[in-house]
Amino acid sequence: MAQARAHGTRRVWVPATAFAVFALAVLLRLIQLQILDHPRYARAAHEELTASDVIYARRGAILDRNGNALATSVDTWDFYVNARTWKDPAKAERSAQALAAALHVDAARLRATVAASTAIDVLVARDVEYETGKELIDSGAVDGLNPVPSSIRVNPERDTAASILGFIGRDKTGLAGIEAAYNEVLQGKPGRAVYERDTAGDPIPFGRRVTSNPLPGKDVVLTIDRYLQRMAEQRLEEAVRQHRAKGGAIIMMDPSTGEIYALATQPGLKYSTLDLSDAKQIELLRNRAVTDLYEPGSVMKVITAAAAIDAGAVTPDTTYVDTGTAYIYGIALQNWDFNTYGLQDMRGVLRNSINTGAIFMMQQLERIQPGGFQRYLDAFGFGKPTGVDLQGEASGIIRRPTHPGWSPVDLATQAFGQSISVTPLQMAAAVAAAINGGNLVRPPFVRQIVGPGGSVQDVKPEIVGRAISAQASATMRDMMHAVMDPGHFPPKDYTAGGKSGTANVPIPNGYDDRQVASFVEFAPLDNPRLLVFVKLDENADLLTGTAAAAPIASRIMDDALHYLNVPADAGKSAVTR
Amino acid sequence: MAAINHPLGHARRVPLPGRPAQVNWWVLAAVFVLGLGAMLPVLQNSTATSRGFDAQRLQLDQARVNGEIRELESEVASLTSLDRIQHRAEEIGLGPGDPPVFVNVGEPGPAPAKIPSEYLPGPVPTTEEPDPWWRSLLSWVSLGN
Repeated sequence: MAQARAHGTRRVWVPATAFAVFALAVLLRLIQLQILDHPRYARAAHEELTASDVIYARRGAILDRNGNALATSVDTWDFYVNARTWKDPAKAERSAQALAAALHVDAARLRATVAASTAIDVLVARDVEYETGKELIDSGAVDGLNPVPSSIRVNPERDTAASILGFIGRDKTGLAGIEAAYNEVLQGKPGRAVYERDTAGDPIPFGRRVTSNPLPGKDVVLTIDRYLQRMAEQRLEEAVRQHRAKGGAIIMMDPSTGEIYALATQPGLKYSTLDLSDAKQIELLRNRAVTDLYEPGSVMKVITAAAAIDAGAVTPDTTYVDTGTAYIYGIALQNWDFNTYGLQDMRGVLRNSINTGAIFMMQQLERIQPGGFQRYLDAFGFGKPTGVDLQGEASGIIRRPTHPGWSPVDLATQAFGQSISVTPLQMAAAVAAAINGGNLVRPPFVRQIVGPGGSVQDVKPEIVGRAISAQASATMRDMMHAVMDPGHFPPKDYTAGGKSGTANVPIPNGYDDRQVASFVEFAPLDNPRLLVFVKLDENADLLTGTAAAAPIASRIMDDALHYLNVPADAGKSAVTR
Repeated sequence: MAAINHPLGHARRVPLPGRPAQVNWWVLAAVFVLGLGAMLPVLQNSTATSRGFDAQRLQLDQARVNGEIRELESEVASLTSLDRIQHRAEEIGLGPGDPPVFVNVGEPGPAPAKIPSEYLPGPVPTTEEPDPWWRSLLSWVSLGN
């Protein structure tokens, strides 16, 4: 008897279809979970199971030219605790008490911090002293503790050179000064460690592995001498106080190599009072000797004279008659003291700082080389950054014939340091070029870079151009020496050359009564070893550069050259036997 | 009952049925190899764990020593800072020195010491070229005067 084939009925097909749809839905969901969204879920699972730490590389030290540490790093710990572990009240209480006792903080606050956090690993202490942290870790008294090695920056010389060194942020990246400019060199390369966690979120023992080792940063050796830097900062502070100035700058430089021994500015960065939450202190982050412009006044006459002598337009013995006023396109330009000096040679122009004499030199130069004066300004490095190793360096401003509102009067006033804005460092580098044989040198802050293995990379002084001839430079040394009569407070032990500058502060459409007093000096005369530049901003006593800045420069010159073991010049304090 | 208390004496050994069991060395070897194979991952795992532990301990030691070195460096830097030197100098009664006195000596410096002759290089030997043969021939015939 043949069995009849069962025909599908609704009672069969409906459940079958329902099962098929359900199976299809499950299948599609599986495809979605296991194929389409696989990377996302795999990543989530991986993140749940593993965690990673950045292993900061040891940041290189910053040393002075004699190898003394100005900034170095010390190991510390950042402590995180696992919030899941601390959900157990007994564990949380016990751990918080142990942690609080070691770190001298409030246990209740620790628990509240962890409880309030939505993160699994909660930061509870930053930059814990290495030994303290190590003892706490070894004791095992804190459940769910995840110590992460870290480091802090230490400045053994405290505030000395702070405005040069700058500082680093919490991510160990340089934010200002040399720390920022040489961040790539100092920072090294951070490493990374990965560790697995158990269901409670605690690291699994021996589950930690270093996926990339940190590469330590290199040490940077500066041209700065800590003793001279400290001296410059102290003298500047005294001078600002004494002359009731708004601020100022002192630069000490080797005129031959351009190496900066010291650079002090006021106002300036101080670690001891640094508070970045105070908006006013943000201004302190810039190094004003590099970033701020001023009109140099009569110090610029050194450059005018150097250009005219190098071009052969004048000699030191060239004479002219000063009538007290020079008329340029109908505009009367007078001497700074409204005096009339009569017949003067070019030494007299510098010694008496005669504005009309500077105009005379510029005109003689322009007569034989039209446009030559501003070409010399370019050759001395004005109008462009010096290339110093600090960020935010200003270029300076030179009014040129192509600028709107240009007038030949601008050229005349540039001859005695107006209608031109420079940085103190530009001015010091330009005067160095005038007296060092004529070479414009990039002022470096860094002498060497020392690798972790002791490899040394020398940073050679860089001559960026030739401003004047060696012969003209020798003539300039003699002319600047002629300036240093007793009224200019010459150094006691060294024959020196120098030039003062006193310039009013420019405002729109003119100048006001505020002034900038400055003095630049070098010694010894025959073989200059040191150039000192002193600038006082808006000194309330209104003393000139000669009266206010020259004594400071000469005192520094004597003390600094003694320190540098430069013998006194014959005929000065040296005893001849 | 007496028969029960009677000792068996030289009781006859009743042989067990079947052949005596023989050791199959191949089976034993296979078991041994399998056992060894099973133990190998355990041993490897144990060794790896042990070495990992050692490596981590050494890394921690290295980190600790490096940390201590840096702390010591920092301490040395602090102790040799200018502020500290000045403070210490004041503590022991030192003060700023007088300005240095520079002396220019008007007379020439002493002559450099003479080097003993035995340390000086000897005279350079001059090598005279021998006369050509024809010159000696000329002198022999007394033509060359």
